[in-house]
Amino acid sequence: MSSGYKPDILWSPHHADRYVICDTELSLYRIGPAGSSETKAGALPLSEETAATLLAINSDTPYMKCVAWYPKQEPECLLAVGQANGRVVLTSLGQSHNSKSVPAEKVRLSGDVDSGLVVTKPLYELGQNDACLSLCWLPRDHQKLLLAGMHRNLAIFDLRNTSQKTFVNTKAIQGVTVDPHFQDRVASFFEGQVAIWDLRKFEKPVFTLTEQSKPLTKVAWCRTRMGLLATLTRDSNIIRLYDMQHTPMPFGDEVEPTIIERSVQPCSESIISSFAWHPSAQNRMVVVSPNRVMNDFTVFERISLAWSSTTALMWACGRHLYECAEDAGQGVAATEKDIATKMRERAQLRYGHDTMQVWRNHMLAGGDDPQLRSLWYTLHYILHCSYTENVEQKQQSNKQSLIYSGIKNIVKSSSGTTETRHCWSGSDRQTDVPRYHSEERSLALQLCGWISRGPDIDVEPFLKSLEQEGERERAAAVALFNLDIRRAIQILNKGASAEKGDLNLTVVAMALSGYTDEKNSLWREMCSSLRLQLKKPYLCIMFAFLTSEPGAYDAVLYESRVAVRDRVAFACMFLNDAQLPRYIDKLTNEMKEAGNLEGILLTGLTKDGVDLMESYVDRTGDVQTASFCMLKGSPGEVLKDPRVQCWIENYRNLLDAWRFWHKRAEFDIHRSKLDPSSKPLAQVFVSCNFCGKSISYSCSAMPHQGRGFSQYGVSGSPTKSKVTSCPGCRKPLPRCALCLMNMGTPVSSCPGTGKADEKADLTRDKKLAQFNNWFTWCHNCRHGGHAGHMLSWFRDHSECPVSACTCKCMQLDTTGNLVPSDSV
Amino acid sequence: MFVARSIAADHKDLIHDVSYDFHGRRMATCSSDQSMKVWDKGGNAEWNCTASWKTHSGSVWRVTWAHPEFGQVLASCSFDRTAIVWEEIVGESNDKQRGQSHWIKRTTLVDSRTSVTDVKFAPKHMGLMLTTCSADGVVRIYEAPDVMNLSQWSLQHEISSKLSCSCISWNPSSSRAHAPMIAVGSDDSNVTYGGKVQIYEYNEVTRKYAKAETLMTVTDAVHDIAFAPNLGRSFHVLAIATKDVRIFKLVPLRKDSSSSAPTKFEVQVLAQFDSHNSQVWRVSWNITSTLLASSGDDGCVRLWKANYMDNWKCTGILKGDGSPVSGQPGALSGILGSATAQIIAQKH
Repeated sequence: MSSGYKPDILWSPHHADRYVICDTELSLYRIGPAGSSETKAGALPLSEETAATLLAINSDTPYMKCVAWYPKQEPECLLAVGQANGRVVLTSLGQSHNSKSVPAEKVRLSGDVDSGLVVTKPLYELGQNDACLSLCWLPRDHQKLLLAGMHRNLAIFDLRNTSQKTFVNTKAIQGVTVDPHFQDRVASFFEGQVAIWDLRKFEKPVFTLTEQSKPLTKVAWCRTRMGLLATLTRDSNIIRLYDMQHTPMPFGDEVEPTIIERSVQPCSESIISSFAWHPSAQNRMVVVSPNRVMNDFTVFERISLAWSSTTALMWACGRHLYECAEDAGQGVAATEKDIATKMRERAQLRYGHDTMQVWRNHMLAGGDDPQLRSLWYTLHYILHCSYTENVEQKQQSNKQSLIYSGIKNIVKSSSGTTETRHCWSGSDRQTDVPRYHSEERSLALQLCGWISRGPDIDVEPFLKSLEQEGERERAAAVALFNLDIRRAIQILNKGASAEKGDLNLTVVAMALSGYTDEKNSLWREMCSSLRLQLKKPYLCIMFAFLTSEPGAYDAVLYESRVAVRDRVAFACMFLNDAQLPRYIDKLTNEMKEAGNLEGILLTGLTKDGVDLMESYVDRTGDVQTASFCMLKGSPGEVLKDPRVQCWIENYRNLLDAWRFWHKRAEFDIHRSKLDPSSKPLAQVFVSCNFCGKSISYSCSAMPHQGRGFSQYGVSGSPTKSKVTSCPGCRKPLPRCALCLMNMGTPVSSCPGTGKADEKADLTRDKKLAQFNNWFTWCHNCRHGGHAGHMLSWFRDHSECPVSACTCKCMQLDTTGNLVPSDSV
Repeated sequence: MFVARSIAADHKDLIHDVSYDFHGRRMATCSSDQSMKVWDKGGNAEWNCTASWKTHSGSVWRVTWAHPEFGQVLASCSFDRTAIVWEEIVGESNDKQRGQSHWIKRTTLVDSRTSVTDVKFAPKHMGLMLTTCSADGVVRIYEAPDVMNLSQWSLQHEISSKLSCSCISWNPSSSRAHAPMIAVGSDDSNVTYGGKVQIYEYNEVTRKYAKAETLMTVTDAVHDIAFAPNLGRSFHVLAIATKDVRIFKLVPLRKDSSSSAPTKFEVQVLAQFDSHNSQVWRVSWNITSTLLASSGDDGCVRLWKANYMDNWKCTGILKGDGSPVSGQPGALSGILGSATAQIIAQKH
């Protein structure tokens, strides 16, 4: 079909749904939605949504070199065709198809449109043997036809007066096309170079685009976008787009316009023969391949995007904005949520604020993170121990700090370790398993949560609580490590019966009961090999313990699925003074490197602990946990660490950005309890107009409140009976702009507030704080009054209540008008 | 889970930039139609355009908000070679224009002789500082010595990057351990000119910005660059939009504080994705720098998320017009969610 001729495509200037494909013939297509009743069976699919229908074919004009569409409404479908023999032919296409194609030699347009087209004589014939390479109409003046020919000329011809023509000598004579948005701008090309012309200064190109390695085949301006030029090179699958920022006139001459270059691949790997922009649809084009496969394609604009602080994504595509907001609480599993979302949710659940039952904070965090669980239990035990120590031995301050310094430091300071050999309880046989005791080791066990306090090891309460929580394997293991096989078996049996016959536990209980400490027994041999098949880590380490040589417990100590606290407690019981610090050091470094919060048990809230927390923050970004954890520490050195200060600042900043101002304020209160240095100084003083003294000075004699003056005016206090005057000079205080009473008087309920909800509002306010009595004033106009009066005034007004003052007090501060998002 | 919805922007030409304020309750857009719009979020979570005005005599490339502690302040930059600082004022509106806010031009920065391609405010802790970069390769840092008077800005620093600049990003870290740092990207497409991302660091001793690092592996044109919110981390993360999405990690090597030499960094490439198939135009981090969004020539917005092992995965794809990507009906749901990649075979 198209031997040598590659199909070109041309869009109708008036019908947004029609275009012409020309190779050896002209074919008119209509584009429509795919699958609609309009599109017939023979429709060619262009994309998923659109298809094309063939309307007409015109094969009257062979040897086509180039084609242009007549830009006026009437006559419809009039095309100018440049032929290889150098002639221009006018032809028509369409449903009527009353072949208006005219003899090649003699072309003329009659001046009168009504009479249609009459052919009388040749309008213009280019040099004898030259082919016309490209042509186009000038939209500004429809009687002018711009032609490009051989002889290295670009020429403008006036059809009314053929002798009037403008020439410019250039190599760039192919593919002449006028910018539809800027009608003096014309593009043409030669080989791989595109020249942009300004018709008002036709002498030389305004500029040329960077040269392509392959010769160009098509250059077209986008119809819907200002200054967007698309180019195509031969045998290429890429359309290059040049986004020209049109230069404002004042410095149009000197400056080359900024050009943003892009490239698109409309039909992935297959070669493109030609393309045409859709006349009205934004950035849409139809692309045709050499074998006439057509493709409907939209060039996307450069999308700019931004995240909001609350994890909403906004992007701009073309002239449109899209917002992608997070749909809260929809099915996404908690573990998969982003940390920003998690921190917001946790902040709202008052995570970190439970100071009485510290371990409960992990429940506030969702209760599904084993590391957070371990961290908060560790902090709970630390605070618990330090509290009881405090009560019992007030004088021992070094012990106090030892509790915060983690098991790593506790075992280092260990001295006077005693070694005992216990019996297996429930049997009278002596074990050869040495167990170690010291005061420090007991403390470590307390921090691990195995024992509550005191030197004697009684794990029974701990076992009971584990059983209650359903952690039976763990309870059994702890019982076993306390050399109580009978209890371990009992726990497992209970578990087996409770959990609807978990055969596994019964079997394990049976296996346990067969324990023998003979070195070469079949039991030992089988247990040490079969235990590896046990899926539950605690069951696994039970047999590891029973089958190990004393002092060689690596299978227990390095079982990473077992909680760090249990492994450490185990180590404190069964490793000697040489082995224990080595093991703890190794584990600590492992935890620090991984940023594993379970390791806080080892490091405590020391510099080591900050190091560990640093790698946790590096890994997760969870400054919330980091801040709260460090605030639980002993007041002092860790809080002064710049990294800790940095996390706290970052967390406060997050809360501010989320407008969780109440939460931030609560956090600050919480913080100032543990770190008094963080308390901000009093921010505002009210001084008397007459004597210049702060009117709150008398309040400073009372326990310092930070905002002493705010209490001023609270009625009912006997020491402040005379409250409407300055305590320094006894002159009256300023008057409220609304009630005209001297400030300091108890506020009466607002006049004219008949609405029920408002009243309810005010009474609630009164109950919580005497806020209605506060002094408020506008920083701009310096008028003010009782806060309650001011609030009710500005509910209905935007201007200041003082006569002739036009200050828009309430609108001055945009942030002030924002509502905290955590208040409801 | 994310739901995309369209907002009638009513700009007359391409929107080049969109920017949220600190709280995410206000938004500014700028366009080739030479105008800017400010949007406020209403009580029903709808965006209302509260101001729209002609700002420049050329395409407006970028718009950015100052921290609210400096007031309601915007800065814009344009092809017309200027950057402008805007401030919202209250009190002169009459009742007819209720709901409309007024933005007045506080200053026009005219130092550039070419198109100003990016404008950014410095992090809050540095005071009210504004940075611009321009096509002639100069980065300019201005300071408003008096935050009450935004009409006075003094040019504090001029950094010549020697390459046409397209984008800048401040390191947002407020830690005292990190000196002020700015990354500059160049859209020069000549590969032989070497690294297109330069990082400058402020030196307390010389009181000047000095080049601390050039990312030599980024040789193609860079269209956007974004430092991740630091959030107290010990290193910096930088996302770059070039012919692909790239994420770099800059680990400051410890140095003694007395030395005046710039900080040395250990530079690691965390991720490199070419799934946009061609040029990447924009990158943006969420507030905890755990999610990265990118847009590219494939007309899609892609979301990236790292697991705890620093493995970055694509967790969501959205078409530029908000429609779900074909063959990916579930692409909209669970965008924040699963760490499994949802990389689609490119349709075209």
